[in-house]
Amino acid sequence: MSSTESALRLDDVCVAFPRRPEPILRNVTLVLERGEQLVVFGASGSGKSTLLQAITGVVPHTVSAALTGTVTVNGRATTQCSVVELSRHVGTLAQDPSSGICLPDVEQELALPLENHAVPADEISERIDRALASVRALTLRGRRTDQLSGGEGQRVALAAALINGPDLLLLDEPTSMLDPAGVAAVRQAINTAVAAHGPAVVLVEHRLDDYAGPDGVAGLPARAIVLGEDGHVVAAGATSDVLTEHAGRLHAAGCWLPLETELQAVTGFSGGLAEPAVRQGLRSHAPPAPAGDRAAEPVGPVVLAVDDLAVSRAAWVPRRRWARRRRVREAPEVPKLLERVSFRLRTGEVTALLGPNGAGKTSLLLTLAGLLPQAGGSVSGPRPGLVFQNPEHQFVAHTVRDEVGHGLTDAPPGRVDDLLDQHRLAHLAEQSPHRLSGGEKRRLSMAAMLAHERPVLLADEPTFGLDRRDTLATLAALRSAAVSRSVLFSSHDLRSVAATADRALVIADRSVIADGPVLEVLRDPVVLERAGLRLPPLLQWLLLEFDSADQVRAVLSWLDAAPAVVPATAAET
Amino acid sequence: MSIPALGPPAGRAAGSVLARRNPTVKLMLLFVVSAVLAVIFDPVTPAVLYVLAAAAVIASTGMELTRLALLHLPFIGFGLGVFLVNALSRPGDVWWTAGPLRITVEGLSVGGSLALRTLVIGVLAIGFITSTDGVRLMHSLHQQGRLGPRVTYAVLAGYRMLQEMPREWQTIRHAHAVRAPLRPDGAPSRSPLAFGRGAFALLVISVRKGERMALSLESRGLGLSPRTTWRRVPLTGADWAMAAGVLGVLATVVVTSRMLGHLRGVEALLS
Repeated sequence: MSSTESALRLDDVCVAFPRRPEPILRNVTLVLERGEQLVVFGASGSGKSTLLQAITGVVPHTVSAALTGTVTVNGRATTQCSVVELSRHVGTLAQDPSSGICLPDVEQELALPLENHAVPADEISERIDRALASVRALTLRGRRTDQLSGGEGQRVALAAALINGPDLLLLDEPTSMLDPAGVAAVRQAINTAVAAHGPAVVLVEHRLDDYAGPDGVAGLPARAIVLGEDGHVVAAGATSDVLTEHAGRLHAAGCWLPLETELQAVTGFSGGLAEPAVRQGLRSHAPPAPAGDRAAEPVGPVVLAVDDLAVSRAAWVPRRRWARRRRVREAPEVPKLLERVSFRLRTGEVTALLGPNGAGKTSLLLTLAGLLPQAGGSVSGPRPGLVFQNPEHQFVAHTVRDEVGHGLTDAPPGRVDDLLDQHRLAHLAEQSPHRLSGGEKRRLSMAAMLAHERPVLLADEPTFGLDRRDTLATLAALRSAAVSRSVLFSSHDLRSVAATADRALVIADRSVIADGPVLEVLRDPVVLERAGLRLPPLLQWLLLEFDSADQVRAVLSWLDAAPAVVPATAAET
Repeated sequence: MSIPALGPPAGRAAGSVLARRNPTVKLMLLFVVSAVLAVIFDPVTPAVLYVLAAAAVIASTGMELTRLALLHLPFIGFGLGVFLVNALSRPGDVWWTAGPLRITVEGLSVGGSLALRTLVIGVLAIGFITSTDGVRLMHSLHQQGRLGPRVTYAVLAGYRMLQEMPREWQTIRHAHAVRAPLRPDGAPSRSPLAFGRGAFALLVISVRKGERMALSLESRGLGLSPRTTWRRVPLTGADWAMAAGVLGVLATVVVTSRMLGHLRGVEALLS
């Protein structure tokens, strides 16, 4: 336990799971001193999470896996001490705030690690204050944990992870389940807290584009390793060097990357949007500006007409008749989330539903799907389908095949197989839906809903928590579903929205504040301000640079589809 | 003392005398009264105890009588069932008969005793549940009841999962209803089978979440020793006074009942 020990040392570590033929990590060697920060890059399934589990001791103590080589945390071999014992040196922030917080009150949540580490009782209150202050969450102290937003929950969990001053902090996709405001708050909290406590940091995060924030690559930990598909470390070094050298490989593997890295991967030039060569590269992929007004794109007939709709969560609460009769005068007005909502959905059109968290996007979709009773107004049209944010909520069957076939009464034979093929699920047909990867679960939930051939498809944050490759696949599936349907999907990711949607419907302040062609809506500063939407830098530049929607969309879809170019190392040196 | 004690949370019964008492002491008293009642088989003793217990609960919680009556319903239902079964089936001196039905004196006496016992335990349980916050109970069981930290905090984490479950269940039901066939009135059909599927999905999601929470608890160092305790659930003279009072009244009633010749023990079942 001497102070000369490295915070973390991995020597030739291999991890293999019992029922997988290939090891998930191979020969990983790594040393991290106290105060050093490391980011781990790699595609989904490359063993990033397993690496963190090997450091906390969950592998091999809790999860049965074969670990060879040695992992030492502060000089202690993880095989020699339990996960709980290692918690004296390691703090962990996991991805899901709802399971990263264990107790009903914020105060008790933060007191627990202190009590467990035998901190004298009269110091605890002050240390709770200090820990909350370091994550900018002092005002949350008196709150109940079930009333925290995702971003608030993650900051409380971060405070709990840091409150004992660990030597090593592990961040396991800390912002992947948050909306943009939550990402920004948690990123700032991590930066200030890490500066204050000074632990070594290992970060795994797939939304690195959001996580890096306005600082770009400079906003990431200083050191990086890249895990290849086979579990080897394929690169290690300073983050900017690693990204420069491996941008193409990571891009091709479907990782989210900071914008400047992504642009480098596809244009071959570093420097981000500030670099003229990069801008020129982007411009060259836009079609020439159309002369005069473009004829309106032909869209199909209206399939869903929404008139003066009011949306309320409380409306579903069953009210006993006698209770209502008795207190008819004091009965409170049922609070309405949205009022005076009117719009049309047309076949062939993809509409994005935008708005701040808590504005009522999910409730609106549930009401359109007939799952929440309307609190007023009307929805006329055939029954829509709805894909939920968490695919697991939808699963009803024990195999992928039965899941797709569920509820199909008069489907022709072979229909289920066709759908499985179309959505790249055929090889998983006999698996349990709950055992699939995140992207596979999303594909399955879409396939199962599309099987019903409803003329309107609604989707609630369908790209949430997916890596870049799965996000693009999901957006493409929505686009192709719209050929014979109308699609309405909610999202926080404005770049995806700009690339995919024809129209945008923005809700804020309890009603619809904008409804029109997507780029016109996104160009309106008043709408953006009222709905709390912030354009990502790339989109901001594109909207300034190009006047026509076709040009913006052409550049975005070229970026999404572009194969990575071979790194222009010669040009850089 | 600089560290504030862990008091009852603000709420309906927060200010009541009973809510301020130590939860472990309350629970122990509930157990002791139940245990003593388990060996009493005459109707008079539990009847007297019921009157006293109900009066004590009303006085110490300030509960509205209508609410108390409403909460009694399950206990009255159960008590009535026990009473009728005993009255109609217990052998002994026939008191009343009509066709195949016959009611015995012993049946009335033992059945009445069991029914009143149900009510005594019922009213005390109502007093306990309405005046006790679950979180404070677990902390108190840990601090005064020697319950291990792993069990205590596992239950508290379970309590937190329970808080989120109604929302999760609602979402699952909605998600399943999307693909359900429609009933003639236009609402999605809700079959028992669909209910089972929903329950299975909730189980899978909850088990996963439970695993992640267990990891979180371990990463917070739960299970290390020694450990300290921050805010204590106070155990004061008033708690001891309450315990002494309850046990004293219980003993007085039992002894008086015996002196007056009402008290009957297990032998009542054999006569």
